[in-house]
Amino acid sequence: MPSLEVSLRDMERLIGRTLSPDELRHLVGLAKCDVDSIVGDSVKLEAKDTNRPDLWSAEGIAREIRFRVKKLGLPKYKVSRSKVEVIVDKSVKGVRPFTACAVVTNLHLDEAALSQMIQLQEKVASNYGGGRRDIAIGVYDLDKMKPPINYTTVDPDGVRFVPLDFEEELTPREILEKHPKGKEFGHLLAGVSRYPIFIDSAGEVMSVPPIINSNFSGKVTENTRNAFIECSGFDLGRLSVALNVVTTALAERGAEIGAVKVRYADRAIVTPDFKPGRASVDLVHFGRISDLTLSPSKACDLLRRSGYSVIRRRKDKVEVLYPAYRHDVMHERDLMEDMLISYGYDKIRPQPLRLPTVGMSSRIERFSSLLCELMIGLGFQQVMSYTLTNKVELFAKMKLKEEPVIELENPVSSSWDVFRNWMLPCIVDFLSSNAHVDYPQNVFEIGDVVVPDQTKETRAMDRRKLACARASAEVGYQDIASVLDAFLSSLGCQYELRTGSHPSFIEGRVADVILKGADLGVVGEVSPEVLEAWDIEVPVSAFEIDVSSLYDILPLENLD
Amino acid sequence: MSKRLKLTEEGKDYAKRGLPELNLVEALKQGPISLSRARELVDNLDIALQWGKKRNWIRMDGGLIYLISPPDVVPEQEALIRASKGETMDEGVARILIQRNLIEVESSFVEELKHLEGKTVSRLTPELMSTGLWRNVKLRPYDVKILGTKVHPSKRQPFDHFLSELRQRLVELGFVEMKGPTIETEFWNYDALYQPQGHPARDWLSTFYLKGAGLGDLPSIAGNVKKAHEHGVSGSTGWGYKWDPMRARRLMPRAQGTALSARTLAKGPLIPGKYFAIARCYRPDVIDAFHGIEFVQVEGIVVDESLTFRNLLGILEMFAREIARANEIKFIPDYYPFTEPSVQMSAKHPAMGWIEFGGAGIFREELTKPLNVDVPVIAWGLGVDRLAMFKLGIEDIRDLFSRDLDWMRRKAVV
Repeated sequence: MPSLEVSLRDMERLIGRTLSPDELRHLVGLAKCDVDSIVGDSVKLEAKDTNRPDLWSAEGIAREIRFRVKKLGLPKYKVSRSKVEVIVDKSVKGVRPFTACAVVTNLHLDEAALSQMIQLQEKVASNYGGGRRDIAIGVYDLDKMKPPINYTTVDPDGVRFVPLDFEEELTPREILEKHPKGKEFGHLLAGVSRYPIFIDSAGEVMSVPPIINSNFSGKVTENTRNAFIECSGFDLGRLSVALNVVTTALAERGAEIGAVKVRYADRAIVTPDFKPGRASVDLVHFGRISDLTLSPSKACDLLRRSGYSVIRRRKDKVEVLYPAYRHDVMHERDLMEDMLISYGYDKIRPQPLRLPTVGMSSRIERFSSLLCELMIGLGFQQVMSYTLTNKVELFAKMKLKEEPVIELENPVSSSWDVFRNWMLPCIVDFLSSNAHVDYPQNVFEIGDVVVPDQTKETRAMDRRKLACARASAEVGYQDIASVLDAFLSSLGCQYELRTGSHPSFIEGRVADVILKGADLGVVGEVSPEVLEAWDIEVPVSAFEIDVSSLYDILPLENLD
Repeated sequence: MSKRLKLTEEGKDYAKRGLPELNLVEALKQGPISLSRARELVDNLDIALQWGKKRNWIRMDGGLIYLISPPDVVPEQEALIRASKGETMDEGVARILIQRNLIEVESSFVEELKHLEGKTVSRLTPELMSTGLWRNVKLRPYDVKILGTKVHPSKRQPFDHFLSELRQRLVELGFVEMKGPTIETEFWNYDALYQPQGHPARDWLSTFYLKGAGLGDLPSIAGNVKKAHEHGVSGSTGWGYKWDPMRARRLMPRAQGTALSARTLAKGPLIPGKYFAIARCYRPDVIDAFHGIEFVQVEGIVVDESLTFRNLLGILEMFAREIARANEIKFIPDYYPFTEPSVQMSAKHPAMGWIEFGGAGIFREELTKPLNVDVPVIAWGLGVDRLAMFKLGIEDIRDLFSRDLDWMRRKAVV
């Protein structure tokens, strides 16, 4: 979700009136934005619709609000033909094959407008353009450029220019190494032998997309009167939406848009293209989904209040045009939602649901809840841990040989980079965090662990486990074995203890718990080596059993 | 105490010749016998019958005595023999034997305690009880404000307790619980929910992926989903890109509980049907007081031919009232890639004020049709973290999984 910052005064100017904080909250809500904070003139917003880049600027939000309030229909933007041409060299094909461009004249950008333009360009490229990978946007001072413009490629060391906010001339390769933007986005050019470049007819480098503009023509200020805008990337359709979003936002402030001819090797296109999209909605379907009884003309009004133009109505089917800066209209549902927003969610009466259904919790949860009750009755405090942990805690500190586990490829922290495949380390960790707290400490946890299993649909399997520990100066093997006995006997289990061997427990004081021939778990006195690794200074006895096995083996008729 | 016990005459007799009930059992081992025959064979038959029946060893039927089950070990008999040798015995057994007048407390012992008569004693002891001397002593009054050793209660983990109550509430409201795997394919987590493969939520920064986990299996409806993404279904244009089945097979920890709803729909839900899940989910995020990388999502679906947008608001209103105890709510437009229309609900909690409490929407047809569901499906989710934190009195979301035993011991359960 893009976070935006806008100026309150600027919003008021664009909407056309002053706004109380509550009004502001309500109105930006119509453009699917939440107000995070209002401090002085600065309003922080969260744009919720990740599929509507046209709503990621003050201009776009204000435009949406004006539709909703004033029934404006499809917005019309005049596009004149500019003399600017862009010549696309065929060498960009394997690198960054497409560009869509525009000219914007008669700009009068104040501080607020300039910061919106920069913010919008950034948000579109990062949130809609895959972090500049799919879409990069450059805005230039047209008066400092000599058209026609070439979109071509260059050897990484083949040219020198001053990148934005720098003073020294660098080659593109040096920019990737030294400039902050080069370091941030350089990976997008990894493996490419020639870098894409916009360069004007005077030989001035304008930019190396998707990395950086030049400090000369690629810098836009409040004094810039005429601008050239390019979007570069891989999908002309998406580039076109991005260009339309950015240029119409400027047009909302009175700037004029000029079309640019972009010459590819095999064809020429003219951008921007504001040809509206076409869609239709069936009013019977709308009535069924909305449960609102509206006359067709009222329904059409709702469409106009959502920025659509109604071009035809045949019986229940209404055909509309939608603005070229939107690409989210896929299905009549999209139109229906817009109609409902324009109608006002706050004006629609909720209808209670009356469906004859019977509720039911899952069987394993009911079983777990019984086990939980048993353990509490036996005097154990329930704890709950994250299922994410790390190999040091799972294995090294438990003196266990490493086992295959489910590992994150992109962890945010090395403390949480694998899924636990057994539960006891979480319990020991808990005891370790409470070394200063009154003993005896009796704790348990019931929860899921995840183990790799190639036979399963997702190559992994959840197992529910119960681990339990007693920590105190007096506690030993028999004290935990008797708890396990009370626990399993209460479940009617005829289990068996067999002398076992487990690196986490003291040799000779550990047993395998066997139920109907199946290995149910382990019980024993935790080895001092393990306790030392966890900085625990009292004896700990513990058991861990596989609740999933218990669940499968026991008849459990009474759970149903 | 046991050392100060001695056998009565009767006790001495039984120690030598056995308890009457045991003698009766012995006699019955050959088969049932009549009452009169028994009287010949067993001394003190009335005592034998009384205890034999009490112990469920014998039963009487039509003048005959039957053996039900002979005892293995009889602690009283053993205790009598031990007492005759001057050995100790278990206190419980001693109590029975005293009751049966087979042993008595040595008078010298009673004499020993005699000096307490009329005095004030601090503790009420078993000796005072068994000798009846407690009648003649005064028990010293205590300072009732002084407690014994600290007792630490064992309780449910507070957040788990909160979730259990929530589960119970949802069941009462007619919802069926869904379960599903922690590790999902991208297919169930995203593709089946009509989230395009280029969606920002699916990138490296927003979704955890797994190291060397291989690829998962695709279900048979994957072809429908491909079609929905590429060209659209039921009048939709679709996303218009080339859908990659290998991408859909990639594995990831579940990032949203909605994956469970997709699975439920594909299996063929009850119609009408109401479902919920309390699902651990995983997403990369900054780890601080407000964000975690592992969290619990509470969400579900409602499936029925009759569902409308007004029902959607109705469901959210019900949750606000029944779960957040809110009496004021607000609905605002919202966005989820898989629902249209979508709503966000703010609820005014009596103590917390306005909180964002939930969201809901009607699943897009591009989602439901490929899963072979032809009726409207409402998807809903509840933001329970803040409610839980409020109820638990904590300010750091990480404390939902608290490592503080002392806090849990002290935490009130209401």
